Amino acid sequence: MDAARQEQRDAPDVAPPAAPAAKPRLAVDVRHFASRYAVIGVWAIMILIYSLAEPGVFFTRSTFTSIFTGQYALVFMAMALLCTIIVGEFVDLSVPSVFGFAATVWPVLVTNHHWGMVPAAIVAVIAAVACGAVNAVLVVVLGVNTIVVTLGMGTLLTGLALWMSNLNVVVLQPSGFEKIGTFTIGGLYISFFYGIVLALAFAYVLAYTPLGRHMRFVGASREVSRLSGVRVNRIRFGSYVVAGLISGVGAVITVATLGSYNAESSNSYLLPVFAAVFLGTAIIQPGRFNPIGTWIGVYFLYTGILGLEDLGLQQWVSDVFYGGALVVAVTISTLLRRRTT
Amino acid sequence: MTISQADGAAGAAEPGAARHRLEVAHLSKTFGPARVLRDIQLTVAPGELHGMVGQNGCGKSTLVKILTGVYTPDPGGSIVVDGRRLRTPVQPMEQREVGVSVVHQNLGLVDDHAVWENVRLGRYQARGPFRKINTRAERDSVAAVLARLGRTIDVDAPAGTLGAEDRATIAIARAMQDHRPGGGLIIFDESTRALGKTARGRFFELVRSLIDGGASVLLISHQLEEIIEATDRVTVLRDGQVVETGIPTKDTDEAGLTRLMLGRHLVTHSRVNSHAQEDAAASVRGLSAGQVRGLDLTVKRGEIVGLTGLMGSGFEEVAEALGGARRAESGELAVGAATLSLSARRASTEHFVRAGVGYVPERRLDEGLAAGMTMSENMTLPRVRGKGSALRTGSAWQAEEARTMIAKLDIKPPRPDAPVSTLSGGNQQKVVLAKWLAGTPNLLVLREPTQAVDVGARHDIIDAIREAAKDGCGVLIASIDAADLAVLCDRVLVFRHGTVTGELSGELDQDDIIHATFGSPRPEPRDEPKQEEKQEERWAG
Repeated sequence: MDAARQEQRDAPDVAPPAAPAAKPRLAVDVRHFASRYAVIGVWAIMILIYSLAEPGVFFTRSTFTSIFTGQYALVFMAMALLCTIIVGEFVDLSVPSVFGFAATVWPVLVTNHHWGMVPAAIVAVIAAVACGAVNAVLVVVLGVNTIVVTLGMGTLLTGLALWMSNLNVVVLQPSGFEKIGTFTIGGLYISFFYGIVLALAFAYVLAYTPLGRHMRFVGASREVSRLSGVRVNRIRFGSYVVAGLISGVGAVITVATLGSYNAESSNSYLLPVFAAVFLGTAIIQPGRFNPIGTWIGVYFLYTGILGLEDLGLQQWVSDVFYGGALVVAVTISTLLRRRTT
Repeated sequence: MTISQADGAAGAAEPGAARHRLEVAHLSKTFGPARVLRDIQLTVAPGELHGMVGQNGCGKSTLVKILTGVYTPDPGGSIVVDGRRLRTPVQPMEQREVGVSVVHQNLGLVDDHAVWENVRLGRYQARGPFRKINTRAERDSVAAVLARLGRTIDVDAPAGTLGAEDRATIAIARAMQDHRPGGGLIIFDESTRALGKTARGRFFELVRSLIDGGASVLLISHQLEEIIEATDRVTVLRDGQVVETGIPTKDTDEAGLTRLMLGRHLVTHSRVNSHAQEDAAASVRGLSAGQVRGLDLTVKRGEIVGLTGLMGSGFEEVAEALGGARRAESGELAVGAATLSLSARRASTEHFVRAGVGYVPERRLDEGLAAGMTMSENMTLPRVRGKGSALRTGSAWQAEEARTMIAKLDIKPPRPDAPVSTLSGGNQQKVVLAKWLAGTPNLLVLREPTQAVDVGARHDIIDAIREAAKDGCGVLIASIDAADLAVLCDRVLVFRHGTVTGELSGELDQDDIIHATFGSPRPEPRDEPKQEEKQEERWAG
């Protein structure tokens, strides 16, 4: 009896070779395509609806300029958050504060302490990198809970930034160096293009380099990575440091473009950053955190808010939209993950 | 409770008669493409201590999770307790009503809470307008349960301050507090693991007293020794199926159970000549890890060495230390041109990988493969930095490795971009093996390489391991599977309490290995043909 049973048992163990008929394969392809590009479709529909609802107001060059010039700060922060999320460090809450800290240090050193633009910018970037390194020491080396460490670090840094700026908006006097952010190409600030380059470079690293492969494996399973000879803690540590670096560079570019920074605004970035990163898991590579999806997420969310504001809704709409989008995005991402694993 | 009672109960299987405490019939469970339980049949008589054994991954814990309502079984199966058929998924309240409870592996105690709080957790009776817990009544009821067990434990002591034996008592008290006297079923899911030797003895006294009171016990354990000593009847699971159920324990022994757990494999591999060469592939000096003290071992190029013993005898630690998976207390491993410290504080598996050590772990989805990544990505991971440049992983060599390995191990489906989670267990195991074979290692360390894989996959895996040896790789196989060791190994080291107590070499026979493992004398030659016949029958019939 066991021999027969044995055979019976073996048969279904062998996975079917491929979709046998063309029909299910087409269905699979359609579903595959839909799950990759659904959000982009929604984006297009959203633009269409706004254009119809506000003829002559929404579908204009100025709207597009406003969408694509304003969000570079968010792009940098989202990429910084992505660095640690990719390697499985789930919630680095300190990203906006590290960004805000660097964005305050630079103008304060220049305006209040009469430093040169460039040395002050370098110090600001180093400060952000150091913040990332402190996070890394606490989380990776000492094994302290990530949420607690980054929440504490975030609040601490925001507090320090407020103290340095005396609760004021700190202004940077133009001296030519701000061109690194305000130079325009085709009517858009160069900062916008930095964001694109950063997202593309990040996507390249993840897809095509050994480092990116290691990062994704560490995010998928630390134990499997360790037993395969990947230096897991080095990669985790490095992610925090690079997250600090991206935040610092992003801060310098943002302040150069804006000409000033308000330390109190840091915290308002937290939710949009998370919303964009999680929304990104529903774009291009479903169920997976990915830079290009995140980049699209940033602009998708802002399009939605801008349209609603143009419709006459007030400032509160951004809270509602970002908050709602975060919950929806996390839900979608969870469902997609469940389907793929 | 005697065996004859149990036999009597098991014999009277008229439908509808509530002669069984627990009756499981036609129970199956499917996860996605994988069927992890198939047509499980099992009965436990009132007042019986029923043992259940099987290798890791055979479905024991899935069965427990179905019985406790964590998983929903496939339609068609039934779970009957004292004649009452339970709804599936099993509802916690109904489960409590019929008196089925589980003591889990880690006992499930909250250390900094008092004994009475641990026992009553989930059952607190709230009283009065403020829904206050009646502390005194709760404590009294706990004291009463402990009295039923014949134990006195301070109900106010934090659980964490108690010894192992008392902790087990608390867990049992929690499990049996709702049972009617003379009824109920307690499932012990590997719960004796946490107990020391003396505590284990008392634990079984306690279990005996429960049974004398009329309760039934289903004891799931890896310790065949205690199954043989303590239980009345035993059920053996293998690959999600019941191999045999209700074997009276007095009619079997540890070796017999091991044989049933592992099965006689249908595909008989003939032994091939050893490929062992003169020079050493790896040599170990002074390895101390866990119970093992000062082990020296040399593996020649092309030699396949088996490490075996009872579970917990130390052979597992040796494999983990040599594979770079755990830090040993001391020891050195010379492999290829490198000499690795096995106890380095910053021992990084990376050094092992670079020296050409491949490690196939026991739990493939926790330690071997990232389920969401593709077959090719998993396979090439150890070499992606060495073979790629900083800016490109390089696709040609990856495609080549995947193609070669898919052909060599007959991996199905043959799609390198398939996520590993979509493969069957046997094919996943092939991918773990391929991950290391593709790098032509100097030393390959494998733990239970054919565990929970089907016959065809086993065949392919055995062939691939042999071929690696032929190519000059030293192979260490740590396994309890005597059949695997017998067909593959040039010699087998048998561990007991951390020391090598036997070395078998030459023409190996799986019965020799099993008897060396359990330290039991080999049965008289005249018994042998009879036993073989019985086995053949079981497989052929």
